[in-house]
Amino acid sequence: MVVADDLRLSILQYAIEGKLSKQLEEDTPVEATLEKLSSIKKHLIQTSAIKKEKPYTGDGTLPFDIPATWRWVRLFDIGELSRGKSKHRPRNDDVLYINGTIPLIQTGDVAAAKKYIKSYGKCYNEIGFAQSRLWKAGTLCITIAANIGDVAILGFDACFPDSVVGFQPFTEDVNIEYIYYMLLAYKRRMNAKATKVAQSNLSLDKMSTMLFPFPPVEEQRRLVGRLNDIMKKVDEYEKIEKQLTELKAALPSSMREAILFAAVQGKLTKQLETDSSVEEYLNAVRTEKAASIFEGLPKRGKFSEAKEYPFDIPNTWEWVRLGDIANLKIGKTPPRGEAKWWHPDYPWVSIADIPDGKTLLQTAESVSSSAFDNFFKSTIIPKGTLLMSFKLTIGKVCVLGIDALHNEAIVSIRPYMDKNMQIRNYLLRILPFISQYGESKNAIKGNTLNATSLSNLPIPFPPVEEQQRIVERLDKLLPLCDELVE
Amino acid sequence: MALGNLIKSWENIMRDDDGVNGTVQVLSQLVWMLFLKVYDIKEDVWELYEDDFQSAIPEKCRWRNWAKGKSQKERMTGDTLVDFVDNTLFPTLKGLTVTAQSSKRLIIVREMMAESYNYMKDGVCIRRAINLLDGIDFDDQTEHHAFNTIYETLLRGLQSAGRSGEFYTPRALTQLITEKVNPQLGKITADFACGTGGFLVDAVEHLRKQVKRAEDSATIEETVFGVEKKQFPYMLCTTNMLLHDVNYPRVTHANSLMKNVRDYKPSEKVDFILMNPPYGGHEQDGIQVNFPSKLRSSETANLFMIEILYRLNDGGRCGVILPDGFLQNDDTSLIAIKEKLFKECNVHTIIRMPGSCFAPYTSISTNLFFFDKTGGTTETWFYRFDLPNNQKFSMKRNPITRDKLSAIDAWWDNRQEIKDKKEDESLTDTWKSLRVPIDAIKDRNYNLDYCGFPDEEKVILSPEETIANFKEERDQLDRELDEKLQVILDMLGVV
Repeated sequence: MVVADDLRLSILQYAIEGKLSKQLEEDTPVEATLEKLSSIKKHLIQTSAIKKEKPYTGDGTLPFDIPATWRWVRLFDIGELSRGKSKHRPRNDDVLYINGTIPLIQTGDVAAAKKYIKSYGKCYNEIGFAQSRLWKAGTLCITIAANIGDVAILGFDACFPDSVVGFQPFTEDVNIEYIYYMLLAYKRRMNAKATKVAQSNLSLDKMSTMLFPFPPVEEQRRLVGRLNDIMKKVDEYEKIEKQLTELKAALPSSMREAILFAAVQGKLTKQLETDSSVEEYLNAVRTEKAASIFEGLPKRGKFSEAKEYPFDIPNTWEWVRLGDIANLKIGKTPPRGEAKWWHPDYPWVSIADIPDGKTLLQTAESVSSSAFDNFFKSTIIPKGTLLMSFKLTIGKVCVLGIDALHNEAIVSIRPYMDKNMQIRNYLLRILPFISQYGESKNAIKGNTLNATSLSNLPIPFPPVEEQQRIVERLDKLLPLCDELVE
Repeated sequence: MALGNLIKSWENIMRDDDGVNGTVQVLSQLVWMLFLKVYDIKEDVWELYEDDFQSAIPEKCRWRNWAKGKSQKERMTGDTLVDFVDNTLFPTLKGLTVTAQSSKRLIIVREMMAESYNYMKDGVCIRRAINLLDGIDFDDQTEHHAFNTIYETLLRGLQSAGRSGEFYTPRALTQLITEKVNPQLGKITADFACGTGGFLVDAVEHLRKQVKRAEDSATIEETVFGVEKKQFPYMLCTTNMLLHDVNYPRVTHANSLMKNVRDYKPSEKVDFILMNPPYGGHEQDGIQVNFPSKLRSSETANLFMIEILYRLNDGGRCGVILPDGFLQNDDTSLIAIKEKLFKECNVHTIIRMPGSCFAPYTSISTNLFFFDKTGGTTETWFYRFDLPNNQKFSMKRNPITRDKLSAIDAWWDNRQEIKDKKEDESLTDTWKSLRVPIDAIKDRNYNLDYCGFPDEEKVILSPEETIANFKEERDQLDRELDEKLQVILDMLGVV
């Protein structure tokens, strides 16, 4: 795939080698133009309108061939080149900006502009203006710090700091749009000439050693016309290229989602007659649960009806509420300010510790034994328990690889009657999807589930044997999605 | 016969026949057999009413003879039946000679059978299939109506065979649009991308309500026509029309984009257009050249819009379903098309429909455009159709039906601007219904994204559909990239 930037650069190079425009006999000879510019320059120096620049110290090597009717020039030969001004320190002193009305262009504005700078961020006031210089619209701005070699033409009169250089042709025989394209073609070369330090910059001296191809006036105009048309097409190309890149980037996650969705609708597995009955399981749970106590959650007497099932599931499955099939425990955070709660006695999990979908082996923080007694009722969450985040980040899951405690943004989930961990493994795979599906408008807006909505979370519940088959299928399919990333 | 059962029973029979593989073949087998059966029933009706009736089909190939047979004993089955179908029925019907004098009916039969194919190899299965179809009693009106619904289920079922979202639009939408466009008896109504004929059927039924004299029925037949490019939906459309008692379905199997728009004569212009053009299609240069260069686009839906602009009569009305892309994309040619549309027509209403309308087969968001050729647009009303209580449409549990769209009807006749309730005062205003003057639209360069859906309508597709969508979009983008590169190369080449 041709990257738009490479395409632009190669087209520009083509252009400044004279291959994109016809060299016509009737064009004004370039020597005449350069003579004219030279005498204007002499005059300007004499009247102190501009300063004489340092003599040329380049070695005269020519980077590439140009048509016979063109000439190599330096920017100083054809216009005024000087740095912007911002004498005052610090540069961002408020006194320069309060109630400002004079547009100030910075390197970021040049970089962001397409060809013409049409907007500005800050404005200088009278004081700011006094320590700077106003440049006329039509000035070509070149950045010499930060992003070196960005160019753009001022769409309005403005000031800019010394990290930007301004170029103003001596006459209209120098087509500013041509110079724009020409410098754009030189961007990489300019970067090469910059100092190779952390904060590199390109000095005017260095710029004065650079030679640029200069065509006859009329040919400049023709070239600009053609480049304008072609660059428009390249922009359109870039837009499509971007769409394609985004499309490809989105595929792995769309596939994961589609596969998970298919899984929880029973579309990835066969519903076998030999599987145990979900109904029987639920009855057994109900019996066992009647005697148990819930921590931190509203008491739930019996199974409630799901008023609106999120989607269709096979006949052998049932919709259940998470709170009906698993013991849910929300954690706690001991007061931060008090050091006595924070000793390395018991690992304590926060969302950042959770290795999504995997086994958790360590935590960043720990709480003390006294915290364990005071806030956690001296009950540790055993290794093998499923954890899920449900505040801020919803649906991050893991299995504890160590005994631990956790905070109140995490819930530990222990399915009832789950000796073989089939239900736990199933939930581990599908909870990230289920917790964000359906109730999405409510959940994601505040990015929080609460104890009630957590307990009420509808879960599509297959026979446990099928849950295992689903886990096996997903473990085969999901890693393949990750491989889709180019 | 219960709805789901026909398809299930049919599938069971097909499963037993080794020659039929895959959903598409199962359904295409049903399509031609169903056509011949339906045609046979229609012949009974025609025979009754027409003194000079003569079947377009040679006697031995008429369903009543080869499929039904005069008695139980005479019914063909097994190898005899397969042999008949492959070596007599198909060659005869495909080989029917069509002359300038040929009856329209003959043409229809030949067209329909032209690209049909008999996949079945087991005569016993063919017999079972025939018996299944014969079990439907078309004389019973309830069965007849029920059958139409079965037919629609069949059409919807095609969507799961993949890529068929192209030619089936939910009935609720076609009915709504037809009602609002309100075709009139005596004028011409058309659908240039008619798919399986949803709009055409609705138009016919709408016109039937206006019938006063005997001749009017014939007029309806002569003034409703459709064009469909693909064989499969074309056949289904013809059968669909026959089922709805249109004796000569005026459906042409062609690509209406193949004609140069400037060549349309006044007699080819129409008064009412109802359409759901295919989206994401890519038309070759050979097609694009039929359209003015400023408006030219490779996007099929856009080209259809241009065709509409060239074929709509003054005073005519139009209802079209278009994707979000048409509203929002900013390619030069599309803007030019919209400019022409808003200048030549009065685009009075645009209704934004949720992505779940076509779920779970595709999540594409669609928009209903209503315009008429009574002068340029001065203002456009936008309206966003929301389902109550955060519901989503779904094929099984919450199918889209006409009555569920009643909020649109209520708003249509009594239009008010409606602002959305804000959750947070700091959020910008959004609207459910808004009246936008043409100048505002021009200023935005014809970006018509008003009253859009606040949250991203996310519908999760099946893995197959996700992959198919991705491939389609990727291929489309790749094609566009190549196109652009070629344009650039061409521009570079000419010095």
